[in-house]
Amino acid sequence: MTYPFASLPENLAAFCGALRRDYHFRIGPPELMDAARGLELTDLSSRRAVRDALRTILSKTHDDFVSFDIAFDRFLRGDEATRRTDRRDGLESVAEGSGESEKRSRETRPSTVGGPDEEMAAIEGIHGLVRELDENRESSSATLLRASYSPLEGEGAPLVLEPPTRAWLDAAAAVVRRVHTAASRRWHPALRGPRFDFRRTLRTSLRTAGEPVVPRWRAHPRRRARFVLLIDGSRSMGASSEPLLQLTVALSAVNTSTETFAFSTDLRRITRDVRRAAAGQTVSLELRRAWGGGTTIGRCLKEFLHQFGERLLGPDTVVFIASDGLDVGDTDTLRRAMEQLVRRSTAVIWINPLLHTPGYQPTATGMSVARPHVALLTSVVDAAGLRALAGSLRIT
Amino acid sequence: MTDPGAIRARFREHDFIIDDAFATALHLMMALDKPLLLEGPAGVGKTDTAKVLADALGARLIRLQCYEGLDAMTALYEWNYPRQMLRIRMAEGTEASLEQREAQIFSDEFLLRRPLLEAIVQDAAPVLLIDEVDRADEAFEAFLLEVLAEWQVTIPEIGTIRARHAPHVILTSNRTRELSDALRRRCLFFWIPYPTPDEEIAILHARIPQIDRRLAVQIARVVHAFRNLPLQKTPGVAETLDWARALIALHRDHLDWQALEQTLGCVLKVREDQSVLDAARDRLRPIVEDTLKPGGHSLETDFGLGSVSTPRS
Repeated sequence: MTYPFASLPENLAAFCGALRRDYHFRIGPPELMDAARGLELTDLSSRRAVRDALRTILSKTHDDFVSFDIAFDRFLRGDEATRRTDRRDGLESVAEGSGESEKRSRETRPSTVGGPDEEMAAIEGIHGLVRELDENRESSSATLLRASYSPLEGEGAPLVLEPPTRAWLDAAAAVVRRVHTAASRRWHPALRGPRFDFRRTLRTSLRTAGEPVVPRWRAHPRRRARFVLLIDGSRSMGASSEPLLQLTVALSAVNTSTETFAFSTDLRRITRDVRRAAAGQTVSLELRRAWGGGTTIGRCLKEFLHQFGERLLGPDTVVFIASDGLDVGDTDTLRRAMEQLVRRSTAVIWINPLLHTPGYQPTATGMSVARPHVALLTSVVDAAGLRALAGSLRIT
Repeated sequence: MTDPGAIRARFREHDFIIDDAFATALHLMMALDKPLLLEGPAGVGKTDTAKVLADALGARLIRLQCYEGLDAMTALYEWNYPRQMLRIRMAEGTEASLEQREAQIFSDEFLLRRPLLEAIVQDAAPVLLIDEVDRADEAFEAFLLEVLAEWQVTIPEIGTIRARHAPHVILTSNRTRELSDALRRRCLFFWIPYPTPDEEIAILHARIPQIDRRLAVQIARVVHAFRNLPLQKTPGVAETLDWARALIALHRDHLDWQALEQTLGCVLKVREDQSVLDAARDRLRPIVEDTLKPGGHSLETDFGLGSVSTPRS
């Protein structure tokens, strides 16, 4: 078996960089160290053994596990070697001013993983790649050929978030009240509850010579509802997006567990900006391709699931998708993303501003694909509409 | 067990068939002293892996079954409150001070060790199975991170207990919810898929030595076909083994439609899935009938059991 680079640390660092960049693996220095240790225990002449060892160490999810073999084969074919050689000029500029350590990581090293120096150098190589990726992310990740050819594609427009009005706040509070999360099965100390807390009662009784004078209780706390809002900012939404932004800010003001994302042909998390608006500031944002261009709903939802799904979705999460469903992306991607969203959350509610238009039928590509998966398809054009939505909502 | 080949052989001795990739994962788990997170469909042998590993190592298996509401106290330790209460009553007439009484009732004598603490205090490294970790709450997951990282537990009344031998930890998850990144990053990961038909035949022969060769081939192929149907509850290896045992109990040496219908409940556990099977009957018929030809599976190839892929004309 031949590797693209002469030394094992270089190969490992380049491969991990490729996994991070192209396959979104979450690999940091600890994983790199484990991989180096794992390879010490592996027969390096066996491609299968190396692949099996690295796959177990570097994969953290089923998706990683599935894509690992493709990445591994691609790397050994030399695709990554070529790319990394091409990138070296770029790395030089990143390394400037960062001292000898960056340069050392690119020097030729012995072909075995020996002492800690080699491992550290490999880790520094990864750090260099990460910095480079961070710098280049803006220009590379947003390149979407199909959307670029879309008539809806544009330069993007500024997104303005205004502080919420009282009417919006009241309506948002009504929505939150309608989401009845179940009681947790955990037992927490409580003033009153169905279960006698023997332990705390005993500990308290020590103050009264072992006499349990003050009984203690335990009860089930309520789970806290979480909201995730995905707001379509494509040009086709036009003025319809304004009330949706009001809804977002109001919901964020009444429920701190609210996460907000804007998407168009790119996805951008705007939770912190929305919270600033909820706190009373007027916020203006330049979101480039995440606001005011074409629409690739499926790709953006997939990106959301990949980056944030694990942290933000769960049995207490209600997902709002605000979009007109006019999509130029791949319908299979959208369908798969919707299936995942439904599986991993309590309910998915789709707010389509066009529903308010007389004679409108939700037959757009995105809408027809997503519709079977949504718990509620509705329209919100003002605070009264949101209150009406709260009236028809009951999530348990 | 110093290399993947040895692990594979030891598992084979315990009638448990694993491939090289899985053996490598188990080898790395022990060599790197890191927990191994096993994910995969239900019934592919995630839990059994820990049991067999414990047998193969001659180590004690300690199991922590996770469920919603599981808290640190239940997983780690509890005080024996009724005994403590009795001791307090018995000590009422003595002149012991409050501190002395407290030291008495919060001693090792009144400590009930739960699985995590039990795993820490063992003299030899046990196999700790944390089963269905996805069913536990996020808060418990955070607590697990601390235990898995340090292998020490602090009991306020007693002090810090440190593990003499870090346990071999296997976590299993059925993905009913996504586990946190933090937990995943602390673990090695292995996805156990459904076995291929050939692997399943080997499993059937290993676990049920008396099974007829032809019947094993038929069962493996039909179960493989079932797994490609849109079933609510896809049959796992456990169902395959149950089905084989049921057919043997009915003295069947081969599978036919009648036997399949009689024993369908061993494989398909949801009413709607049986409807799916009915709808797909025409598609499945060639698969089942193909295996029913004289010589069964071997008729498909020149040398039997799929060793040659050229169909006979």
